[in-house]
Amino acid sequence: MQDFDLFISYFIYNGFTWTNTRFSFSLSGIGSYIRGLGVVLLANPIYSAFSLGLVFVCISLFYILSNSHFVAAAQLLIYVGAINVLIIFAVMFINGSEYSKDFHLWTVGDGVTSVVCTSLFVSLITTIPDTSWYGIIWTTKANQIIEQDLISNSQQIGIHLSTDFFIPFEFISIILLVALIGAIAVARQ
Amino acid sequence: MSEFAPTCIYLVISPLVTLIPHSVPFPFASNSLTYPEKLSSYECGFDPFGDARRRFDIRFYLVSILFIIPDPEVTFSFPWAVPLNKIDPFGSWSTMAFLLILTIGSLYEWKRGASDRE
Repeated sequence: MQDFDLFISYFIYNGFTWTNTRFSFSLSGIGSYIRGLGVVLLANPIYSAFSLGLVFVCISLFYILSNSHFVAAAQLLIYVGAINVLIIFAVMFINGSEYSKDFHLWTVGDGVTSVVCTSLFVSLITTIPDTSWYGIIWTTKANQIIEQDLISNSQQIGIHLSTDFFIPFEFISIILLVALIGAIAVARQ
Repeated sequence: MSEFAPTCIYLVISPLVTLIPHSVPFPFASNSLTYPEKLSSYECGFDPFGDARRRFDIRFYLVSILFIIPDPEVTFSFPWAVPLNKIDPFGSWSTMAFLLILTIGSLYEWKRGASDRE
C-alpha cells in the first residue's frame, strides 16, 4: 500500500486538477482504513504496530491535503517518530511465543463489546462534526496581526498560541510534566 | 503544489535506498529446500537449550518515554521561534513559562536518576 501513497504524492506534484484532491483523499482514506484493519486483525503484534505507523503516515497525508503542513510534520515527528516507537517497545514486552490460534470463536462477550464499540463510534461521528470547537478559546490578548493571509502556517500557529490559546498552552506544559513524573514513577519500581 | 517536489523525490528514493539492500540477499539466501539441521542454531553440537532471548529491559521503554515528553516541547517551540518578530514579549515570556515548567520535569528526571546508565 505504500506504493499507493507514493502514487498519490506523484499526482499531487503533477497537479492534475480534475480529480486531484478527491482522488488523493479517497486513496489516503482507503489506505488508512486498510492499514487500520491490519492493526486490528494481524496476528503478530509487531506487524500490527508497524501497520499503525503506516496509519499515522496516512493521517499525515490527510493533513497535507488540508493545507496544514505544520500539523502534518508534527504528526510525523510525534506520532510516527515517538508514539509508534513507544508502542513497538511496549509490544516487545509481550512474550512472543503465545499467539493464540483460535480467533474465530464469537462469544457473548464479543457481541456485547461490538455493540458498545459500535454505539460509541456512532455517537462520536454524530457529535464531533456538530461541536463548535472554536468556542472554547480563552481570549486573553487581542490578536493584532493584520497580514493574516500572507504569513505561513507555523507562524500563524505560533501567533495564536501566544495570544488566543495562551492558557491552554500553559496547561499543555503541566500535562507534559505530569506525564513525565508519572512515567518515571511507574518505571522506576 | 510544486513545493512538494523535493518531498516526493525523497519519498521515492528513500524506500529504494532501504529496499534494494534488503532484497539483494534473497536470491543468495537459504530457501525452503535447505535441510533443517543446517538452519538450526549451533550450540557445540547439542540440541538448542531454548530461546536465546533475554527479557526486554525496561530502560529502553524509559528512554522512549523520556524522548516523548520533550518531543512536543520542541515541536511547540517551532511555532514560537518562527514568528518571533510578530509576537510581543508577552509571547516570548509565555513560552519561557512553558519551558520552565518542563525544566522542572527534567530536573526531577535527573534527580531520580531515570537517565543513568545503571
